[in-house]
Amino acid sequence: MAEYKMFEGCLIGNRIPFIEASCRKIFDKLGIATSQAPFSCCPDPTGFANFDNDGWLAIGARNLALAESEGKDIISLCNGCSNTLKLVNHTLKHDNLKKDKINKELSKIGKEYKGTIDVKHFVSVLKGELEKIKNSTVKPLSGLKVACHPGCHYMRPSEVMETDDPMHPIDLKEIVAACGATVVDYGEETLCCGSSVSNAYEDHGMAILKKKMDAVKKAGADCLVVNCPACFQQFDGKQRDLSKKFEEEFKIPIFYISELIALGMGIPADELGTKFHRTRVSDILEKIG
Amino acid sequence: MATDFEFRKQVLDMHMSGVIKYCYQCNRCTDNCPVAEVTDNAYNPRQNILNALLGFKDAIFSAEKIAIWGCTICDTCDEVCPQNIELTEIFKLLKNHSVANGDAPDFYYLQAKTIFENAKAIPSQPAIERRREQLGLPAVAAPDVNELSTLLKNMGIDKKLKGE
Repeated sequence: MAEYKMFEGCLIGNRIPFIEASCRKIFDKLGIATSQAPFSCCPDPTGFANFDNDGWLAIGARNLALAESEGKDIISLCNGCSNTLKLVNHTLKHDNLKKDKINKELSKIGKEYKGTIDVKHFVSVLKGELEKIKNSTVKPLSGLKVACHPGCHYMRPSEVMETDDPMHPIDLKEIVAACGATVVDYGEETLCCGSSVSNAYEDHGMAILKKKMDAVKKAGADCLVVNCPACFQQFDGKQRDLSKKFEEEFKIPIFYISELIALGMGIPADELGTKFHRTRVSDILEKIG
Repeated sequence: MATDFEFRKQVLDMHMSGVIKYCYQCNRCTDNCPVAEVTDNAYNPRQNILNALLGFKDAIFSAEKIAIWGCTICDTCDEVCPQNIELTEIFKLLKNHSVANGDAPDFYYLQAKTIFENAKAIPSQPAIERRREQLGLPAVAAPDVNELSTLLKNMGIDKKLKGE
């Protein structure tokens, strides 16, 4: 398998690096090779893109150019980064006027965007390695009931992301099943986590989060699994506030999909940094054994 | 209500495929919008598309901020639209205008300033650098801050930052 340029992103790299730890460990086991590059912020498709579209395209194109100069595809650990990098790549490949405009700016800093590489979300790479995941699972997560939240930008907008069904996603479920766990349907799989609207309107984000967690709770899931650090923070970090706000207990353990895979591979929880989760995961770790 | 033709042109140019003009106001976008649901339609994507298409600039930008910034960028409207309109692209244009007018929520100016000054939306910090080490992770490859801020300055984007 060819080597990818690792795009861990700002949130994972500089705030919740334990997610990168589990990703790197499972990549090693699965033979997915990566190397680093001095990437900047992708930049945030829910933040900076709304600030200035051309600036967003230019920074994104500069990141793509860094990977292009080594002739390697990018593997992203984050929905936001893969959304930005894929959207920028798509836009500049289909709009020559924009491409010329952005390249004129890039040339002033000695860079050029050519459109020669692809960007992959790590989940869609793992989806192609289901057999390998099954074969490397030495401690199947039997009996663990898992609700899946792939997050909006894993598969939407579908014509650009080209990963999963935009309204009935299955990739994450198939990976969870490959680890030996049981997928629990809860009917709100494609509902937003509420993170983006919270940047301006915290209350509305909490209302969306409530709808999501209500459904997960009602379905009787042991935990909720995600593949986006923004969603992870929303679910893992805000359940306590949610409980206070609505005077109802919410304490669903949250896992990154890479953590579940790693646990199934028999990698000790200590090495994964699961103690840095805000939600209590010890019961689940005990259950897995 | 007056049509601003320059603004209308920007809306039509933003939408490369041009299908926005086929919007027949079916309301699928608003019916499926998670924010419309929790705000009793105070955020209403259908209304934004109608106003944008008609070039009703004042109606959009003189309304309460939530009319633009309530969008949570989940791209659900894009998927359910029977006319394949990329609504989120249009909403991005509206937000870019709001930023340029100085009317956006603080978060957006703060994040842009952080990226301008650090080349990362979340800068590196010693406690996390230590945690990376403990987890056996390599240091994050440092981005070229100077090159990134030069790029943004050349494009005049630093002028949109607040407190500059």
